[in-house]
Amino acid sequence: MNLNSKIPEGPLSEKWTRYKAMQKLVNPANKRKLDIIVVGTGLAGASAAASLGALGFNVDIFCIQDSPRRAHSIAAQGGINAAKNYQNDGDSVERLFRDTIKGGDYRAREANVYRLAEVSGDIIDQCVAQGVPFARDYSGLLDNRSFGGAQVSRTFYARGQTGQQLLLGAYGALSREIERGSVKLHNRCEMEELVLIKDKDGMERARGIIVRNLVSGKLERYSAHAVVLATGGYGNVYFLSTNAMNSNGSAAWICHRKGAAFANPCYVQIHPTCIPVHGDYQSKLTLMSESLRNDGRIWVPKKKEDAEAIRAGKKKANDIPEEERDYYLERRYPAFGNLVPRDVASRAAKERCDAGYGVAPTGLAVFLDFSDAIKRLGKKVVEQKYGNLFQMYQKITDENPYETPMMIYPAVHYTMGGLWVDYELQTTIPGLFAAGEANFSDHGANRLGASALMQGLADGYFVLPYTLQNYLSDQITLGKIPTDSPEFDEAEKAVRQREEKLMGIGGDKTVDYFHKKLGHIMWEYVGMSRNEESLTKAKTMIDELEDEFWSNLRVPGNIESFNPEMEKALRLADYFELARLITADAMHRKESCGGHFRTEMQTEDGETKRDDENFMYVAAWEYQGHNNPEILHKEPLNYEHIKIATRNYKN
Amino acid sequence: MNNEKILKLSSITKKLLLALFGTFLLVFLLFHMVANLFILADDGGDAYSAFCHFMGTNMFVKVAELVLLGCFILHIGLAGYLWFCNRGKRPVRYHQPSRTKTAKGSKLAMISGSLLLVLLIFHFYDFYFVKLNVVKGGHYMVKTEEFVLSNPDQEVSEEAQIVVMKAIQDQKVSSDGQSLRDLSLEDKEILQQNFPDAEFEPDFYNTAHDKFSVWHIVLCYLVFFFVVGLHIRHGFESAFQTFGLNHYKYSRLIQILGIIYCWIVCLGFAVVPLTVFIKSLIA
Amino acid sequence: MNFTLHIWRQENATAEGHFETYKVSDISPDCSFLEMLDILNEQLINDKIAHPVCFDNDCREGICGMCGLYINGRPHGNDDGITTCQLHMRKFHDGDEIWIEPWRAKAFPIIRDLVVDRSAFDKIIQAGGYISVTTGGVPDANTIPVPKRFADMAMDAAECIGCGACVAACKNASAMLFVGAKVAHLAMLPQGHVEAQERVKKMVCRMDELGFGSCTNTYACEAECPKQIKRQNIARMNREWIKQLFAGNHKPAE
Repeated sequence: MNLNSKIPEGPLSEKWTRYKAMQKLVNPANKRKLDIIVVGTGLAGASAAASLGALGFNVDIFCIQDSPRRAHSIAAQGGINAAKNYQNDGDSVERLFRDTIKGGDYRAREANVYRLAEVSGDIIDQCVAQGVPFARDYSGLLDNRSFGGAQVSRTFYARGQTGQQLLLGAYGALSREIERGSVKLHNRCEMEELVLIKDKDGMERARGIIVRNLVSGKLERYSAHAVVLATGGYGNVYFLSTNAMNSNGSAAWICHRKGAAFANPCYVQIHPTCIPVHGDYQSKLTLMSESLRNDGRIWVPKKKEDAEAIRAGKKKANDIPEEERDYYLERRYPAFGNLVPRDVASRAAKERCDAGYGVAPTGLAVFLDFSDAIKRLGKKVVEQKYGNLFQMYQKITDENPYETPMMIYPAVHYTMGGLWVDYELQTTIPGLFAAGEANFSDHGANRLGASALMQGLADGYFVLPYTLQNYLSDQITLGKIPTDSPEFDEAEKAVRQREEKLMGIGGDKTVDYFHKKLGHIMWEYVGMSRNEESLTKAKTMIDELEDEFWSNLRVPGNIESFNPEMEKALRLADYFELARLITADAMHRKESCGGHFRTEMQTEDGETKRDDENFMYVAAWEYQGHNNPEILHKEPLNYEHIKIATRNYKN
Repeated sequence: MNNEKILKLSSITKKLLLALFGTFLLVFLLFHMVANLFILADDGGDAYSAFCHFMGTNMFVKVAELVLLGCFILHIGLAGYLWFCNRGKRPVRYHQPSRTKTAKGSKLAMISGSLLLVLLIFHFYDFYFVKLNVVKGGHYMVKTEEFVLSNPDQEVSEEAQIVVMKAIQDQKVSSDGQSLRDLSLEDKEILQQNFPDAEFEPDFYNTAHDKFSVWHIVLCYLVFFFVVGLHIRHGFESAFQTFGLNHYKYSRLIQILGIIYCWIVCLGFAVVPLTVFIKSLIA
Repeated sequence: MNFTLHIWRQENATAEGHFETYKVSDISPDCSFLEMLDILNEQLINDKIAHPVCFDNDCREGICGMCGLYINGRPHGNDDGITTCQLHMRKFHDGDEIWIEPWRAKAFPIIRDLVVDRSAFDKIIQAGGYISVTTGGVPDANTIPVPKRFADMAMDAAECIGCGACVAACKNASAMLFVGAKVAHLAMLPQGHVEAQERVKKMVCRMDELGFGSCTNTYACEAECPKQIKRQNIARMNREWIKQLFAGNHKPAE
């Protein structure tokens, strides 16, 4: 496998301009002759399909939900970054670029990140033109807020629903193209196989997909000249995460099985402020905005007995006197205090809970206390700032955060890893592109807040419409690709076999039973902190669980019917392989960086310790068949523009 | 516009027309209510009769009456049609009764409207149809001048003479002495035979007094006004909403105005039969 | 907590449906309504009694608009301003009987059990629920100032999650609040003015075509909207509709 990142020549700031000037284009008449498949309707998918449709290509777009607007981009709260410098506080493309690289712990590709920063401003223009009701100040101009990892205010927001509004903007653009007939929507369809067909030179190209119609359970074939994957991340491998129930990694994994390299799977972002798990019936974790840490103080009891008493319900948080409270973040990070970055805050909470100081009946929670803020600012100000979040917390937990401290715990939130793509967002399979969270992207080892929305829209609106043309320019004479070829037959057969195999197990346990167990293994041993021992253990446990899965799973109903259990089983089957790869990647990366923390590799104070000498590369894995160890390919990261440094939050 | 096109009007346009006709009716109601209050004047019905006379003879009023009648029919027709269209929109009904908090007036608008239609027929039977001379009943009045003028030389039958004499004896002459009132249907017919050209008008003042002295009729009318209130409680606010005039800033004001309007109309109507009834009790 | 559930079961769009009664026990009051259904399904699969109950759900934090059940006579259950996934079992009493029905509307045919097809909403948006800009070539975001008041009101309307509770609650299965919210959101912004008249015309006509009922101003939609979108948005749509009615069409000179 050859990892050619195809980074254009020239100085960093001119690479994208030069690329656009030199790339090949497809003339309008020929665009009509080219078909494109887009899988996923989140920010990246919807924006890509809308833009490509508007250009004149024939686009087929697929989503697993009943409507494109359900994609999980909708749940993003905080905002979207853009280097507009509307606040005159010194922002620039260069600064956004540097912040993103640094936030990613120097594990992202310079050229991609620079391009991202470059187009960020256009995204805001585009969204405003679409009618996204961004927050404005009294002058009628756009308002900004500040976010973690930056010294400037560059985050545009629409209340706590920025993701929703951006997605609805993209969904509107997509709907317009559907009405015009350039895009065809296929809802309640899940991609189950990628079809590769050899061209005349013997090169295998992505030419179509097999989808399961989730309503009828029937398989359908779709062909195209290129396939774009925008199917999001794989955080649900941990079962409990802030992802939606139907978010899954299968589409990306299917492509990986067909030969697309999977990059940096071990980079998983864990968000520190989520509502903790309260029972084994729980299906999902709810995020509480990062902004709460501005005024809330995080603590656990100093004495283990107190923590035990709280767990047993004998004591309440308010019974613990001030001097018996351990504000551990303020203790460990005097300079940043409660405002340390996400990964640091998450690990610190885990450390306390593991040491036996956790609160909540499960012992897996810490307090986020607003009593000081209420004393200092008054209840009214706190209510104005965080009222809706407090209300949300109260709805879920039935506790009043104005009176008792909130309980929070970290949870899996975002996956920086994904399909390996080059500068053109093309995977190692020609004709297969990946956008948004599905690719290994621009975030390195850790993503900054408000950057996911930026990346998804950048890929969809401003990158793919260019790079896809470059790829498609020599395909115009091909004509419509038939779906009755042996390649399609074979792909469909493979899917049916997989379904039949799952259905045929006829065991006793439900999909969720296995998924919860897998999630538990991943969280315990491949979660916030990892080491050789835990990873080895995880590998064995995953293997054992997978064996049990394939021998004792029960999928009720029929294959050819509306059968959510079947959908979940198909996804879980892929999660086992994915979990193994995450473990293997975490095992091989003997350094700590961003979201990946190896306990063997930490400073004396328990901070991440990078090993730039040995691990300054993107780890791209090549599939070798079920149960066979995957082959590692390295794409070296050459920093020409930026000087590498260490992150420090203590002083 | 042909029939098909009218039927194809968008749901909002239909609703707009419904509201438009309804608004005419709302204005009319206020007018009607004020007119009714003349009955309470302690002048033996002079003012009210004069008013009725004007209403019965003026050309513009007659045109307005036709418009109003049209509004009634179209309002009812459209409401029925919309109801019919909406009926099929939920082919399988919910098993559980709805527990959603809704604007009751609007939810019951169709029922209150249908009830109104039934009550209105009775009301028309009592008054409006009499005026149109479709139904005979109640009391009548006639201008004495017209009698004389219409038949100056003709012999008058004994019967008629008795009627006239009795009327004068019972003080059924208006205070200006120009018309005979409170004539029963029989009397009117006797007179009419003798004075074929005299123009008789229904005497609603006395008809009303007659009817509103009976407790069950008063009760029926009070129910009627209650239903009217219920219906316009919905109508007033809804009209603003349908015309797109509901705005965050004014919605509270509209609500309050709606309530005030509703009470004014209801009380204004109710006070007439109640007063008449109490008066008759005292008498 | 223990509950008796009466759930609408229907194999597919054309099959006859009926209520089926199930019992669940030992449910934590902290459990969400959908998690309670997860537990029931786990039970149904384990006991091999019946096919698990199908219901739509996704984000489970009240923003995607996927979930929607008619619970004891109210869309999204007996609480205000929430989606079904935000309803918790502590809102019920131990031993309660719970009736669970799908959204019922001609325009939302049932797919299976409690899952309905809401593509009609997508079709309404496709008719014109957007500002027709293509990617690129737009002015700088700060070129046109928007009064904060308008931006805030537009945002109020734009919060719609398209769950369909308004249709489910309306006695006429009308989609006026859904359409009104989109029309009002875009009409409130200068960017949306250009197409405002065309938009309302196309969206309302599409809504009528798709088999939704008309508005009778009962505001059940407003009462049940999980995002508490206001009736004033419907008034705004009516206003836009009237403007459109009186606007002349452009006829090219002969």
